[in-house]
Amino acid sequence: MIYLDNAATTYPKPISVQNAVSYALKNYGANPGRAGHSMSIASAEEIYRCRLAAADFFKAPGPECIAFTLNCTHSMNYVLKGLLKQGDHVVTSCLEHNAVMRPLQALSENGVSFTTAMVYPGDNDATVDSFRKALRVNTTLIVCTHASNVWGIRLPVERIAALGHEYGIPIAIDCAQSAGVLPIDMSDGGFDYLCVACHKGLYAPMGTGMLITPNGSNLKTIIEGGTGTNSISMVQPLTMPERMESGTQNMPGIAGVRAGIEFVKSHGIETIYKHEMSLVQYLYKKLSQMKGVKLYTPEPVAPYFVPLLSFNVDEIPSEVIGQKLSELGVAVRAGLHCAPCAHECMGTLEQGAIRICPSVFSNINEMNSFVTALMKII
Amino acid sequence: MGKPLIMFHSITYAMKSRDILFQYGIKSTVERTPRSNANAGCGYSIYVPNKTDEAENILIGQGIKILGRAERDGTL
Repeated sequence: MIYLDNAATTYPKPISVQNAVSYALKNYGANPGRAGHSMSIASAEEIYRCRLAAADFFKAPGPECIAFTLNCTHSMNYVLKGLLKQGDHVVTSCLEHNAVMRPLQALSENGVSFTTAMVYPGDNDATVDSFRKALRVNTTLIVCTHASNVWGIRLPVERIAALGHEYGIPIAIDCAQSAGVLPIDMSDGGFDYLCVACHKGLYAPMGTGMLITPNGSNLKTIIEGGTGTNSISMVQPLTMPERMESGTQNMPGIAGVRAGIEFVKSHGIETIYKHEMSLVQYLYKKLSQMKGVKLYTPEPVAPYFVPLLSFNVDEIPSEVIGQKLSELGVAVRAGLHCAPCAHECMGTLEQGAIRICPSVFSNINEMNSFVTALMKII
Repeated sequence: MGKPLIMFHSITYAMKSRDILFQYGIKSTVERTPRSNANAGCGYSIYVPNKTDEAENILIGQGIKILGRAERDGTL
């Protein structure tokens, strides 16, 4: 199989990640942060090492700023529902995933309002201006994706963060498509909340995510329970990261996160980005020469895009093309990609689109095989 | 000196404190806070057999919130 659905979950996972998960299952079989016996402490040490690695990778102030979650959606819900209250206003972008839009929709039923700012690919000034115009007196949060999961369009999040901070407004970034592909510096970027999917560009197992913030103690909780600390109290601890980590953690998965981060660091984010972008640019050129293929963005170029690409063939439903590609051994993602707003922006809400996304393991031969398969279909 | 256990809110802060102290040449180990101590009922401490006062001051200087000091409960 030629796997080009890496924007959903990267596959295959590096051997080092597989080994780390396997090692954890064999050797870290006790609950971390609960007991005092040696295997429990060893499990906790491994989780702590992962916090250290993540804090270093994202330039967070310290390991206590790393809370492990199930996925990016989970992290985003923690931020939005932990921070927003009746009367608050939020500015977001027109390219958001439902990980942002559905919580906002749910919150809107409780008196939270939001405005979507337009994003202008290749024109960061216009995009920042769009966010500026969307601000209101009662804006309490800016939340936006770092890069669209459908179109690969990268938002100027550092500038948007600076804009928000001019007015004392924090910013939460959906890093689902950017972590491991773009450099993310929490302190330099001025980001208040980073929501990360570890199973994508960090090559960790599914079911792993992170909420990275120095402000976690200020968030209301949406899940409470056992944390292994101050158990005599019925009140959820304020201290991060335990505040956001009730219940037993995904120990083997978190061991995989650390191995994934180390894998990305060993290759270098810039190298990974260049490799994947070169494949996407190659595909873009090939697809733009094929009759009936519709491309929706300019050719993806650094630094305005992340390496993924969506297209359609004439008016054929995207799922039909996706199915035919699957029959020819090519895995892509067709449909709306859980991001109807992003499709609405490009006028593809009805048809959806076929998304292709390489990983560090993809190569030019696979791109050619994909093109050959597509030519057979159309 | 006495009370060689320094207690924290969580195991994360206990481990972070151990690492900070190591940079200052002070050795410590992470342990479960004994149940007999105040602030117990699940918690973690570091056992600092030497220079405990200095260690506590270093951690306070680094902005680490400390729950208190305790004796190490090593008897049945």
